[in-house]
Amino acid sequence: MSLAVEAVDVVKIFGEIRAVDGLSFNVKNGETFGLIGPNGAGKTTALRIAATLLLSTSGVMKIFGLNVVQEAAEVRKIITYLPEEAGAYRNLSGWEYLEFMAKFNTRSKDEAQQMVNEAAEITGLGERLKDKTKTYSKGMKRRLLVARALMNKPKLAILDEPTSGLDVLHAYHVREIIKRYVKEHNVTVLLSSHNMLEVEHVCDRVALINKGKVVAEGKPSELKEKFGSANLEEVFAKVIGLA
Amino acid sequence: MDLLKGFGNFLLKELKELVRDPKILLGMIIVPLLMFPVLGGIMSYSIQSAQEKAEQATVLVVNNDGGNWSTSLIAFLNFSARVSVENNKVLDNNTILELLANYNITYLIEIPEDFSAKMNQHQSNQSVIAYVRFYGAFSGASLFENIGSSVIDNLIYQFNRHWAPDSVAINKSTIIKGNVVEGVDPNILTTLMYSQAIAMPITIMILLTYSMQIAATSVAMEKEEKTLETLLTLPMDRFAILMGKLSGTILVAGIGALAYMLGFNYYMSSFTATFPAGTSLDLASLGLVPSVFGYLLLGISLFVTLLSALALAVIVSAFVEDVRSAQSIVGYIYPLIFIPALALMYLDINTLPLALKILLYAIPYSHPIIASKAIIIGDYLTAIIGIVYVTAFTLVVMYLASRLFATEKILTAKLKFKGLRKREKTPKGEFQ
Repeated sequence: MSLAVEAVDVVKIFGEIRAVDGLSFNVKNGETFGLIGPNGAGKTTALRIAATLLLSTSGVMKIFGLNVVQEAAEVRKIITYLPEEAGAYRNLSGWEYLEFMAKFNTRSKDEAQQMVNEAAEITGLGERLKDKTKTYSKGMKRRLLVARALMNKPKLAILDEPTSGLDVLHAYHVREIIKRYVKEHNVTVLLSSHNMLEVEHVCDRVALINKGKVVAEGKPSELKEKFGSANLEEVFAKVIGLA
Repeated sequence: MDLLKGFGNFLLKELKELVRDPKILLGMIIVPLLMFPVLGGIMSYSIQSAQEKAEQATVLVVNNDGGNWSTSLIAFLNFSARVSVENNKVLDNNTILELLANYNITYLIEIPEDFSAKMNQHQSNQSVIAYVRFYGAFSGASLFENIGSSVIDNLIYQFNRHWAPDSVAINKSTIIKGNVVEGVDPNILTTLMYSQAIAMPITIMILLTYSMQIAATSVAMEKEEKTLETLLTLPMDRFAILMGKLSGTILVAGIGALAYMLGFNYYMSSFTATFPAGTSLDLASLGLVPSVFGYLLLGISLFVTLLSALALAVIVSAFVEDVRSAQSIVGYIYPLIFIPALALMYLDINTLPLALKILLYAIPYSHPIIASKAIIIGDYLTAIIGIVYVTAFTLVVMYLASRLFATEKILTAKLKFKGLRKREKTPKGEFQ
């Protein structure tokens, strides 16, 4: 099976802080992979490097064999990126926002319209899509943005904390969108979360990150078994020596 | 054309966002479009109505003289205005107020009892002057309430000339571009040209500051609303993002400037409407209106200057995280716009000391103003040199802006006002 993401010894230094410190992991084509760890562990930095936003200080990251620095323009054609706490354009309606985004992925009006229709269905926002996004709640906005990240069926969707700050209902809805869409359209997902319980339900495999390094990697069930823990939170605590 | 792939889509989004932003729509387009015509309308209405009122009002003359000269003066006044006469009244506070109230007027004239005697003495002794007294009510209600005073001044001046016509008059001529144009008063010409010399720097000043505000707001909004990260990962060249931002701003600022100029023009014309009759000059026939080529040069000069200002605004706003900081940081560039604009409003650059001249020429934002003056007198070379200089400056700033967009600095750069001791070590490379 070809690799969707290949990170080899990636380091990112900001000033005197080593945000990512020799990070290595692989994501297989078609799987949902989670980078999990506490705030400040380096998850967002790693995803930003994968999304061609940040340059690594050293190491190599490849997306479907394409180098994220030397072939950044090619990488951008096959990925979508959902930043943590991302916003939508305030003065555009939800519908206009989706249209705007769809036009970057295709020159065909029909295809773009099809993408927008599909995204509209994913959001479940109905008539509210005609309203400007500045009138949306946080949960509504997040549903719109997740739909945007998936509507063009990217080869790799990079989702940073997709349910961060959402109430239980909205978080459930977003998780269901991701699970359903990935299964139906064979999209590979690389996501990050500090909610380890949530990740268990969504991800095929996970990498536990602490201080910029992968401290454990595998299927959630395997990790729980290996460390004799009831959930990933306990696994993490044991790995870093807290329990 | 991959460089500009997605440009059209992005530009459309920019325009929608900018035009739908109530702050920009109100502040840049609607307010200047309404404010100046309304101000102009109020001014010309006030002046006109005060003039009409003064012309139609009854001029009350209290004649305490009874001599020949007072009869002549009243007859003269009667020729130009509606005159009522009251004879032999001692004017104290109460009497004056009573008369003003009875006649529903705001001023009156008293011809004192020695008026005719003094006029006669004046024939043999020029140092003796005959006076009339003018009493005008002050209420502070309107700037033009005492326009009647000027009307009386004018009538008395004419009476004097009627009685003793001037034997010497000045026939004024002006030398324009080396040619003597007879019958044109240089003072009136300067006044006319001056009103235009003010309009251009003010328009340029407003256009540059407005558009820099929009550009900075537009970049900072992407950061504040957290849309920039998404934008930078889209399959679109980052140069297209930069160009989309600049083009959107230029279009909206252009509409704003047009609205401003229309309004301002109307405002200025309300003043020139109050010039004395006979002072209207046809500037075009005097060769003081730029040629089509001149206008073209001015347009190019303005465009390249605008582009450099916007690119500079984009660069500085990339160093802050929110809209408010972006708007403040752009303010640091304003002195470079205001100082040459104000200086060139009042000064002729050719008469300045060399150091000041070099300083003004070095500031790119001086050049559209210098060009606007130069093209009127047909000095196209100055305008062209200015365009070349500003274009070079613009290319440098645009290059810096595109480099900023091509690297991660657009996301990570932060201006540290307090102490620049710890500089971030960011990789020097850029995305391909």
